[in-house]
Amino acid sequence: MAKKMKIKAKEKDGVVKVKAMFTSLMADKEEAEKKNIKPEFITYIVGKVNDKVVFEATTSGFMAENPLVKFSFTGAKKGDELVFVLTDNHGKTQTGKKKIK
Amino acid sequence: MERRNFLSMGVVAAAAILVPVTDLKAVNFRETKPKAWEAEKSADAIKALFGDGALTPTDKIKMVAPKLAENGGSIPISLKSDLDIETLAFFQDANPRSATVVFTVPEGQKVNYSFRIKMRQTAYVTVVAKTKDGKLHTLTKEIDVSIGGCGG
Repeated sequence: MAKKMKIKAKEKDGVVKVKAMFTSLMADKEEAEKKNIKPEFITYIVGKVNDKVVFEATTSGFMAENPLVKFSFTGAKKGDELVFVLTDNHGKTQTGKKKIK
Repeated sequence: MERRNFLSMGVVAAAAILVPVTDLKAVNFRETKPKAWEAEKSADAIKALFGDGALTPTDKIKMVAPKLAENGGSIPISLKSDLDIETLAFFQDANPRSATVVFTVPEGQKVNYSFRIKMRQTAYVTVVAKTKDGKLHTLTKEIDVSIGGCGG
């Protein structure tokens, strides 16, 4: 989980549409054995705007590699900052920020 | 009761109310329900996550998924619903463990999620949604996988 995450957030008529791509192999135990690497997957994703949770997901290694999620939410305006915090199976966290356009 | 004591009690009570509210909004299901992530079959995982509640099939949740997936390593799924959903979970029977993703829907937001999953063989996928009134809604669909996914 070293690389950056890509986030796109756009507001239109009060609805914010978000596309986010996180970098992770998403390799669960069996797959990691096959590829001879350590298991590595994101277990928890949380997205916040102004300290309010707008997206929250607990994931397993069966999401596809480099998980791409799309979602929309209401209650934010242009210029607000969207913050994503990821936690992986080793307990490491990663933070990514993006202003809503 | 002394006025001073009474006041401090009020402060304590207010704090006690405030703390659980912020906690409620951040649930890492891997910590609170570790068993659900080890279950092999969807039915067991659902039980571990949601308890023994009756599941009602619903058409209020719209799932867009390919009938035939060419690449089992990346199957796009999108879920949409207007119900007041609290928790939305996605299970599949193709992989060694069933639970794939569990969304906690923030208060007042509608479900509109797209994501991609891996499936190593043809199997059923199940969506379970818990609404605000505690009812469980479910939706099942079969996805054909033509090439083995999961890194194969």
